[in-house]
Amino acid sequence: MAVLTAERRNERHARAPRRARSADHIAGWAFTSPAVLLIFLFGLVPVLWTFWLSVQDTDLTSPGTFVGSAKYRQMIHDPLFWRSARESLLYTVLFVPITLVLALPIAVLLNQRVRGMLIYRMAVYVPLVTSTVATGVIFSYLLNEQVGPVNGVLSKLGLPEGGFFQDPGQALFSVVGMTVWGWLGFAVIIYLAALQNVPPELLEAAALDGCTRFRAFLKVELPLLFPATSFLLVWLTINGLQLFDEVYVTTKGGPLHATTVLVYYLYDQALVNFDGGYAAAIGVAVFLVILLVTLVQLRIGRRMSYESEASR
Amino acid sequence: MRHPIVAGLTGLVLAAAAAACSGGSSSGSGTSTITLWHGYTDAEAKAITSLAQKWNGEHPKQQVHLIFNGGNDGALQKTLASFVSGKTPNIGYEYGSSITTLAQRHQTQDLTSLVNSTAGFNWNDFFPAERQATTVNGKIYGVPALVDNLALVYNKKLFDAKHIPYPTANWTWDDFRNAARKLADPAAKKYGWSFTNDGTEDTVWRYLALLWQAGGDLLSPDGHKSAFDSPAGLQAMQLLHDMAVTDKSVYLDTGDQQYQQLFNSGRIGMLWTGPWDLGSFDQVQYGVQFLPGKVTHATISGPDNYMLFGAGGKKQPAWAFLQWLVSPQVHLEFATATGDLPIRQSETKLPGYSAFLAKYPGNKVFMDNLTTNATKARPNIPQYPKISQVLGVAVQSVLLGKAQPQAALDSARDQIDQILAGA
Repeated sequence: MAVLTAERRNERHARAPRRARSADHIAGWAFTSPAVLLIFLFGLVPVLWTFWLSVQDTDLTSPGTFVGSAKYRQMIHDPLFWRSARESLLYTVLFVPITLVLALPIAVLLNQRVRGMLIYRMAVYVPLVTSTVATGVIFSYLLNEQVGPVNGVLSKLGLPEGGFFQDPGQALFSVVGMTVWGWLGFAVIIYLAALQNVPPELLEAAALDGCTRFRAFLKVELPLLFPATSFLLVWLTINGLQLFDEVYVTTKGGPLHATTVLVYYLYDQALVNFDGGYAAAIGVAVFLVILLVTLVQLRIGRRMSYESEASR
Repeated sequence: MRHPIVAGLTGLVLAAAAAACSGGSSSGSGTSTITLWHGYTDAEAKAITSLAQKWNGEHPKQQVHLIFNGGNDGALQKTLASFVSGKTPNIGYEYGSSITTLAQRHQTQDLTSLVNSTAGFNWNDFFPAERQATTVNGKIYGVPALVDNLALVYNKKLFDAKHIPYPTANWTWDDFRNAARKLADPAAKKYGWSFTNDGTEDTVWRYLALLWQAGGDLLSPDGHKSAFDSPAGLQAMQLLHDMAVTDKSVYLDTGDQQYQQLFNSGRIGMLWTGPWDLGSFDQVQYGVQFLPGKVTHATISGPDNYMLFGAGGKKQPAWAFLQWLVSPQVHLEFATATGDLPIRQSETKLPGYSAFLAKYPGNKVFMDNLTTNATKARPNIPQYPKISQVLGVAVQSVLLGKAQPQAALDSARDQIDQILAGA
């Protein structure tokens, strides 16, 4: 009997906070429901729809027929798909590290107290604000093989001229160069914000301990930049694997498929060949690859930031 | 924006939602309104608007509502999206190359019986290339909206400076190649000719003109096999190779249309282009001539169409308006306002035609082309977009010197025969 009352008392004690918590929950859901609804409608529904499309043979407008895994089998045997996957991979493997490596020193430079710093910071950020289409148009003019100003300067200097977007061997690298220029500002801003979050006491303490400025950067600031780096790594990789606009504007996947990256190939299948099912299957493949890469990156990122915290 | 499929599907969802909210476009009291989607801008937009106003003034019970579709480049995609949303226009302006895709959809109206039974419509009055472009598997799915073709446009001053006689109607490929070589000075960034080298249909249709000039054809007469891997096909590829790779006399346009600027500034001597470009060549004295020839002086035409969509309910009023819009007198008015070519042979016999030619003297050669040299058309088959992609790569590889003409043809032939076989 005594045991029972005790239990009941415990229950009563437990119930009150639970009720409060569920009220919190309701309020929380109420506040987030508009966003959740929008994300559901415009984020999740299209993704699920893409999965559904990928098992159909459809031209996107008439009702499709269910074909099971046929589109995935078609994908596995399609040399152009594998080629575009390779181009995407090569692009991402170049684009992400180059952007990161260039962004960090620029961020460090922009973190100084110099007169007119705002102008420098703006200058670095402007490319990101520029629409990718405008970037593409300008770069295809600058890098025009036959009459572009870049080749004009190169030939004046007696240097060999480049084929850039017109040369199948150089086109992808030209796209890398153009997009690094476009995304650099983003990476710089993220690094700059992270640098400004480094507590000055830490640097002061390092200086008091006789640490040089460069060693302080290596030993104090760099480890603290790790979360920013892992965020950028994920973000830039996702964007790298989803490259489309710049290719569409400058090379249309050419010349000779040299810049046909995955999403461009997907576009081609969906809106030029109107093979909606196949395009959706490619979309699913891109989705899964990005998911996998992101999970791996997050796992590594988390482990390394634990380690850097532990060693601190 | 960075995720086109999601964006596209979102667009479809939004369109469907919009369609659910608003009903049809007809309002009661016996008045019916038909919608026409178009991508006209500038002079063309002004001209179509004033024509629609004229029609609406004369037909208070059959109103026409013009809707700008944002540009004809995206017309096909938007029309298809409208099929899903249900908010389909009654009439749409569509590129000729879109017709095979659209003809497969049940929303697209078959106009064959209307065209043949409407008294005075006079179908054979339209130029042959236009009639071919509206027809898929023997059925008519469109009414000609625009016709153009390629001719040789050259800078007279550059020819004078090099003492080269102006091109004639009997120019051969050799004459053409020699002139381009003399006009070109690659070190000074000057070129004899320009070829669009983006690998899209813009590349391919120029090759088709060459192929036809050499007496060849893209497909076998029954359309079941490729036919371009032939002596004629090789000659056409060889000419591109000789001019672009050996002579280096060709400016390779990446598709951003810089050739316009370069022609205007006297850095390109000759273009193969259509009437749509002439308006932008205001800084050079140019002449227009038939394309050079091998066996023939064939050119290629890219006609666009007005197409009827949706359920049969508004077919009659839409047809009545279209019939009026492309009638000789009305269309000549449109042509004179815009510089577009007349689409009917009878327009050239109307009194207003001389005023049209006086206003656009360069268009005379394009008109003559329509009756003499624009006799062949691209095949209207559903596989054409894929065929075009393969051929685009083949032509590009030759222009860039990455493949020998015969090897490029062989590879393209194998792929295209596979596409045609349904593989």
